Amino acid sequence: MSHWIILPVVLPALMASVLVLALRHHLDLQRIFSIAGTVALAGLGVVLMAMAHDGTVSVYELGDWSAPFGIVLVLDRLSAMMLMLTAAIALVVVLYAVGSGWDARGQHFHALFQFQLMGISGAFLTGDLFNLFVFFEVLLIASYGLMIHGGGGRRLRAGVQYVIYNLLGSTLFLFALAILYAVTGTLNMADMAGRVGGITGGDTALLLVGAVLLLMVFAIKSALLPLHFWLPETYASAPAPVAALFAVMTKVGAYAVLRVDTLIFHSANDAMAALLSGLLLAAALATLAVGMIGILGATGLGRLAAFAVIGSMGTLFSAMAIFTQETAAATLYYMLHSTLAGALLFLVVDMVRERRAGGDAYRPAPAMAQGGLVTALYFGAAIAVAGMPPLSGFVGKLLILDAVRDAPLAWLIWTAILGGTLIAILGLAQGGSRIFWKLEAPADGAPPSGPAPAIALPAASAFVLLGAIVALTLFAGPVTSYLDNTAAQLYAPQTYISAVLGSDIEG
Amino acid sequence: MEALVALGIGTLTAAGIYLVLRRRTFPAILGIALLSYAVNVFLFASGRLMLNAPPVLIDKTGAGVYTDPLPQALVLTAIVISFGMTAVVVLLALGAYLSTRSDRMDMDNGPDAEEEAGQ
Amino acid sequence: MDTTSSMLPLIVAAPFLGALLPGLMIRAGRDTCTWFTLLPTALALLMLVLHAPAVIAGEVFHYRLAWLPSLGMNVNLMLDGLGLMFAGLILGIGLLIILYARFYLYRSDPMGQFFTYLLLFQGAMVGIVLSDNILLLLIFWELTSLSSFLLIGYWNHLPEGRQGARMALAVTGLGGLALIGGMLILGNIAGSYDISVILQNSEAIQGSEWYLPALILILIGCFTKSAQFPFHFWLPHAMAAPTPVSAYLHSATMVKAGLFLMARLWPVLSGTPEWFYIVATTGLITMVIGAGIALFKDDLKALLAFSTVSHLGLITMLLGFGTEAAALAATVHILAHASFKAALFMTAGIIDHETGTRDIPRLGGLRQLMPTTFAIGALTALSMAGIPPLNGFVSKEMMLEEATHTVWAGTPWLLPALAGLGALFSVAYSFRFLVHVFFGPVREDYPKPPHDPPFGMWAGPGLLALVVVVTGLFPALVTPFVDAVAAAITGGHPHAHLSLWHGFTPALYISVAAILGGALLLALHRPLATGWRRAGPPYAKAIFDAVVGAATRGARGVTDGLHDGAMTRYAAILTLATLGAGAIAWSNGEAGPPTRALLPVSLLPAIAVALLVVSTATLVVLHRRRLVALVLLGVVGLVVAIGFIYFSAPDLAMTQLSVEVVTIILLLLALNFLPQEDPPEDSMSRKIRDGVIAGLGGLGVAVVAFAMLTRDFALPAISEYHIANAYKGAGGSNIVNVILVDFRGFDTFGEIIVLGIAALVIFALTEQVLRGPGADWLANWKGARREAGDRHPLLMVIATRVMMPMALMVGVYVFLRGHNEPGGGFIAGLVVAIALLMQYMASGFAWAEERRRLPYHTVIGLGVLISILTGLGAWFNGMPFLTSAFGYVEIPPLEEFELATAMLFDLGVFLTVLGAVMLALASLSSVARRTGEKVNVHAMDVNPLRGRPGGEED
Repeated sequence: MSHWIILPVVLPALMASVLVLALRHHLDLQRIFSIAGTVALAGLGVVLMAMAHDGTVSVYELGDWSAPFGIVLVLDRLSAMMLMLTAAIALVVVLYAVGSGWDARGQHFHALFQFQLMGISGAFLTGDLFNLFVFFEVLLIASYGLMIHGGGGRRLRAGVQYVIYNLLGSTLFLFALAILYAVTGTLNMADMAGRVGGITGGDTALLLVGAVLLLMVFAIKSALLPLHFWLPETYASAPAPVAALFAVMTKVGAYAVLRVDTLIFHSANDAMAALLSGLLLAAALATLAVGMIGILGATGLGRLAAFAVIGSMGTLFSAMAIFTQETAAATLYYMLHSTLAGALLFLVVDMVRERRAGGDAYRPAPAMAQGGLVTALYFGAAIAVAGMPPLSGFVGKLLILDAVRDAPLAWLIWTAILGGTLIAILGLAQGGSRIFWKLEAPADGAPPSGPAPAIALPAASAFVLLGAIVALTLFAGPVTSYLDNTAAQLYAPQTYISAVLGSDIEG
Repeated sequence: MEALVALGIGTLTAAGIYLVLRRRTFPAILGIALLSYAVNVFLFASGRLMLNAPPVLIDKTGAGVYTDPLPQALVLTAIVISFGMTAVVVLLALGAYLSTRSDRMDMDNGPDAEEEAGQ
Repeated sequence: MDTTSSMLPLIVAAPFLGALLPGLMIRAGRDTCTWFTLLPTALALLMLVLHAPAVIAGEVFHYRLAWLPSLGMNVNLMLDGLGLMFAGLILGIGLLIILYARFYLYRSDPMGQFFTYLLLFQGAMVGIVLSDNILLLLIFWELTSLSSFLLIGYWNHLPEGRQGARMALAVTGLGGLALIGGMLILGNIAGSYDISVILQNSEAIQGSEWYLPALILILIGCFTKSAQFPFHFWLPHAMAAPTPVSAYLHSATMVKAGLFLMARLWPVLSGTPEWFYIVATTGLITMVIGAGIALFKDDLKALLAFSTVSHLGLITMLLGFGTEAAALAATVHILAHASFKAALFMTAGIIDHETGTRDIPRLGGLRQLMPTTFAIGALTALSMAGIPPLNGFVSKEMMLEEATHTVWAGTPWLLPALAGLGALFSVAYSFRFLVHVFFGPVREDYPKPPHDPPFGMWAGPGLLALVVVVTGLFPALVTPFVDAVAAAITGGHPHAHLSLWHGFTPALYISVAAILGGALLLALHRPLATGWRRAGPPYAKAIFDAVVGAATRGARGVTDGLHDGAMTRYAAILTLATLGAGAIAWSNGEAGPPTRALLPVSLLPAIAVALLVVSTATLVVLHRRRLVALVLLGVVGLVVAIGFIYFSAPDLAMTQLSVEVVTIILLLLALNFLPQEDPPEDSMSRKIRDGVIAGLGGLGVAVVAFAMLTRDFALPAISEYHIANAYKGAGGSNIVNVILVDFRGFDTFGEIIVLGIAALVIFALTEQVLRGPGADWLANWKGARREAGDRHPLLMVIATRVMMPMALMVGVYVFLRGHNEPGGGFIAGLVVAIALLMQYMASGFAWAEERRRLPYHTVIGLGVLISILTGLGAWFNGMPFLTSAFGYVEIPPLEEFELATAMLFDLGVFLTVLGAVMLALASLSSVARRTGEKVNVHAMDVNPLRGRPGGEED
């Protein structure tokens, strides 16, 4: 078996421990290593995508223990794609963090950043539910550190809320795992997929509870109503570049739902599939509504961006919850788009905070330095987030609307998505016009415009994201055909299962 | 006996939840600790209960009666992780208190910029 | 006759690519900038004109490029008569507008930006009219909304600019979204998103049950864009834009996009009663209302804006009739209106520019002062009034002609009457534009001394005025063109008979009446206007602002109400949601009876559980007294540990105990700086609420736990394999430890990473806090409990010193035996950590810190590194990450133990645990030191050697 698969986990861990061990007092070296490590991770992403491209599912048996007895990492098109996405965002974010000097505002930024990447990569690769829990904890605890990076009272208090809420989530995760193990007697996803079909009669209640609780854990990560309450304050208070990275973390939850449902529960039995799909759809529509309303109701750009993330998760799940191959493909396209768009918006928010006298709050302030550039970036980000043409958000929404066409509640989903878009447009236009257009004369004696920090690297990384969004639009054809195959692979889980379990398939 | 264990788990959970719902950070942390006890026992119980059958091989071939070792291993991992988490949240709560003079869980985020809509 | 033309994409692309130029060229001066804006427009127009003859001859050009085939969204373009007319208007008038804008814009205005926006709009507009794919069309459609937003907001320092821009975006955005829905439905019925295909499927579409929803959604899109009642109100507020924009977007081109789309889909949508009554009626109402309001507007641009609304209504009505003749009339009026209205707007702009005002009451008598402007204004205004021999008359005659023989709901007189009324109003406001601005005495009080503008500024409108006259005098010139357009609309072969004289038809009588009545109305204008003001008709902007304002406030209320930062409520919701979902799941499945023999209840465990319950309950009751609560927590943990032992889990018990100790110590140290009590702030109702939630949670968990405990594995558990292979495969008899370091070593790997990160987070956090405001507060912090006499009691110090080496020995022993007996790296690490902790407790942070050999960061980094490298080591025997190898060694006096790479890995665990715990404590100690705790470098307060207090040094 090829060792490539383990590298996305080991490399960042190695990088981080070197950063801690040797480079603790040399910021410049830290930066070089951190960026180099992230570039390497992106390279790995390319390699892994190439490995998975022809539809083969590669398995890495840790400790040489065959599944389901040991832990395995599994690489398929979906996990490869998610890794690539993560690496891409991470690269942009680390460049931005270095360019804006955020990484110098506290200890251990780069070490925590690398550990964060390790956790996310592990979550995308592992084929074992308990191991998934472990990697969730890794990425969470790293995110705690990044979220409070830079300190400050409000941020710390928001941090306490964030941590406690997620500790509740982790507790829930363990309850779910315990139940699932107690019923199926296994932790390996593929093995469980083989077994749930055989669970009948007196054990179904436990099985269903386990499944639902598990999805709720992922719903917390994906900020689905009513489990989204941790997100707005966290994202609005976190350092904006970190929030940009967090745009990937909500997708970890979405990924987990998609993976677990398509692999384990979807094919198990119809009653279960219907139950999960129903619960998810209800939550998704509510999330969509609250997110978009939040965009209009926000009183600052940071909060607006946070609710934009929630709204996008709602849109994403209202397609995913239908659980057909078509909706899966549309979901994946929108996932790529919304991750890029969300990250971009947060970078713009940070640019505003660093330059504007009034911060990112909707109160009139003097014109900010480098305002034209920032305004242009905001306009682009807003178009992407709102899902207006000509950027990928529009394509994504068209794909979703088209994919859910035959679903029983199609009209409701359509209304929700289109109506939500309108509200989002209003909110984004209002926010932009209040931040960038409604200026006031600077107080006498004050400089004509606020501070003008270095913009080259930050702007460059923001434009890279914008470029990625444009590329996603222009090459929508090839991208969607890749995603169609990915969705097809998800909805033919037998390849995955036999790849993992090999000959000795149990139960 | 199973009933008693279930009762114990239930009690721990209830107490944990109640404390997490308090308004201050410290009791909330205690609540989290109680919840982690509860879930650890629950996870351990997913291997079912057995007396005098510790999973330490008497016979190298593995013959003999042993309680399910896997949940125990999982609980060990869980304990360690929750220890790390507790340590972080304790220090975080302390830090928040030191920098804001407040150990409340709830924060107030009222709208900071009121403006007539349509401007 | 279809032919492919690869020039079509260039026509669309030229303005988009050109949009880059002005921004760059503005550095080279305003004229260069203008030239480089004219260039792409002219090129596009040229390429278009090259196709014109063939198109008029009835040919249709196509271009296809696959973009997103799986969705059916492709770059399919089509050029037919309809597209030719609109593209011609867009590019032709575009040229004149750009020229005009060069002179209109003030020096202070960023011209490059303006021209960039203008070209973006131009490209989007051309895209709309050349699209052969409705999804592509949607993209260009929304692009026009966006560019119009930018152009209206061009003067964004003015509130009118900002508000007008957002209003336009809101209304057209709404329409755009409705349009998306309608178009998708249409495409689904037709089975393709290509217009040329859709146009073939009129029966299928009009027969489908989805016809009406699709029609309504699409019409909402068209009506919002073309400012039809009741969506008309955004257009007048769009006049906040610079006049070139008003002339271009908001009279000649963009507002006609809705008309274009109706014309484009005419063959498949029109001809049904639904179409007739919705479209024709809306058009009629809009025409009359728009004209009526226009009469009472004093702002020149507002007057023209409402007249535009009215004329758009007129064309909509004609399309609504659904007859070929009406389509012809619509075509002619589109051309006529574009020509005279653009010219009129530019005239208004000139007047504004040269006199400094566009307020009609402040104008008048400009005839002598601005003769050229007067000539242009007069001709075009008269055309707008429909006076022969100008092109406005031709089209109006055709309109009235159609109106006279169209029956509305069985009442033949209704349409002609109202159409006549509309005509009458339009005569009135056209005359008013002419008379009140140009005639009358020359005034003294113009804001600026008026004079004719430079040639460049009146060239555009002048040319258009010429068109107005020529096409009025010789309408036959445009007949073939009009026929081609109408053919493209209807799909038939209509023939226009354009002429000034149709004989004594009812239409003629109506126009005459309209002209006379209009003149009369103008004469009565003053009293009428006062009456109008007194009536105080509803003001659309107020309504719109009220709605949007309410929506915004509502949204803010909901958002801030839900997310008010009340973590306790969030947690409660989380709990309830979990319970609810769990309950639903449970009720959807089946919970069977016990399948395994239950263990008998014996006394001791019963007592233990009782102790657990009691101490937990007490903890809850006394939780406000934090120290007590902490002690009770310790008790609970102890009972749990005992439980683990009882149920054959020695490893768990050891781990639980050691973790317990460390956790409690950490909490104690932290509590040192925190308030000692929770204030009594919870109301009884709140306590009850939480109690109920907690009770339910506990109950739910207990039920599930019991169900789980009483049923056997449905299928054989994988752990049987672990038991069987622990020794064979991994050479350890402590199965749990083997699982931890071997079978599931990867979990452990992640676990120590978590610990490592925890330590880093804590360290970074403390650094932050100590640099923040917290530090000063700590500096003059009066300790919580200073009464505990000497901080470092002699006995304890000595005891810990003695214990230290023993503890270390124990640690090593626990570590080594781990693989076969309960124990292992983790527990060993904690044991050693605890031993060190004792030192801290006994002799104070400072003392111990001073004697610290290794920086804990290094220890952690080393630990993680070792475990990684151990894992990677396996690669060298071609094995995957974390594969272990092992052999046996005998080191007397220790029992025979196994030396496995797994133990090297375990060493990593040991180091990480140790480092993490100690780093956490070191951080706490640094907090403590800020409190001015006297740093005593001596082990004890009372130094036996020197017999004097040592603590007080330094």
